[in-house]
Amino acid sequence: MNTNDLIQSLSRDLAPVEPLWRPGRRAIAWLLAAAVYVVALTALLARSGAPLELASPRVWLPHVAAIVACLLASWAAFASVIPGHSGRPAVWAAIGALVWIATVVAASHWDSDVAAIVAARHEAACVGVIVLGGAPLLVAMAVLLRRGAAFAPGKTAAFAALAVGAITNIGACFWRPHAVDDVTLVWHGGAIIALVLVCALAARLVPTAVGARLRRSP
Amino acid sequence: MTAPAQPIDPFGRLMRAAQEGDAAAYEELLRAIAPQLRRVVMRQRGFAGIADVEDLVQDVLLTVHAVRATYDSSRPFVPWLLAIVRNRLADGARRYARTARREIHVDESDVTFFEVETNTDSVELGDAEAVREAVRALPEGQREAIELLKLKELSLKEAAEASGTSVGALKVATHRAMATLRRTLGPKRR
Repeated sequence: MNTNDLIQSLSRDLAPVEPLWRPGRRAIAWLLAAAVYVVALTALLARSGAPLELASPRVWLPHVAAIVACLLASWAAFASVIPGHSGRPAVWAAIGALVWIATVVAASHWDSDVAAIVAARHEAACVGVIVLGGAPLLVAMAVLLRRGAAFAPGKTAAFAALAVGAITNIGACFWRPHAVDDVTLVWHGGAIIALVLVCALAARLVPTAVGARLRRSP
Repeated sequence: MTAPAQPIDPFGRLMRAAQEGDAAAYEELLRAIAPQLRRVVMRQRGFAGIADVEDLVQDVLLTVHAVRATYDSSRPFVPWLLAIVRNRLADGARRYARTARREIHVDESDVTFFEVETNTDSVELGDAEAVREAVRALPEGQREAIELLKLKELSLKEAAEASGTSVGALKVATHRAMATLRRTLGPKRR
């Protein structure tokens, strides 16, 4: 098929398309929907635990930082599927993640040894909340991102997973209330890092969005 | 939802109209950008043959079509288009590198076997078995498109109904399949 024929063929039967919302707007909408989901999930799973001193910045600051990190990461994910969009959201997402980690490190009590951290098997349930509870959010994110141009699927998936990990981490801290400490930092942080890595690798292997349409063809 | 912003350049205006389903504006846009894309691709891939340049231009046009919803009419059109071009060129280069790694150059070998038939330049494109093999080797979607449109000679609408896909998807699949078949069955370069 020559280029003229291709142009004719593409413009014939052209279907209207709804332009995507701007990445920032999509990120805010996604965060609101994700927050409702996480609150519902937390309420559904709620167990009794140590009462949290919500007035203390050591308790609320890491969670506020997690929400900001989630918003920035989802902004970066949505921006990464827009051709020609600036790389600024990615930088902000990285800064947001670093600030979040810094607040968790600063708020943690560093009094557990490695053996105690490994022995804290009850944290495995929190890992389940982050990974399994995050799965529907990841699917929702993938559906939204599919309408874009995933030219760098690994990067896009990593930001999407970071956003999901950040928001579900809050649910994981509240479904069975427990303070943020070195044990939660290792277990929750490890789960989120694993989620980010697995999603980034999987996205590079599985054709997505443009890849699916162009490399494999319908 | 708020009304989309007014496009800030002529290409942007055409693309905005295309997003609303204006086929004439879309054709005008694609016809206007195709020569420019050809120039950009030739500048970036000076070593590529005309057929390869055309393949890359068509790749870019197909991508523009596939991701046209991502164009934001409040932003200039050209940076959006150039980002797509950069991506397709990089993808093309990766594909080329992968193929080159698998191929063995035999340019210096004058004779491979003593028999005359093995040293002739004429490749029979009409070899039915070779065509069948090549079609069988296509990905499922592409194979189905070729079978419905080229072998059974159904119309696009009939083929779309039979395969349960859209007309646009069938067109893209057919284009990709034909490019693959051309590569597989075409005369080997010396």
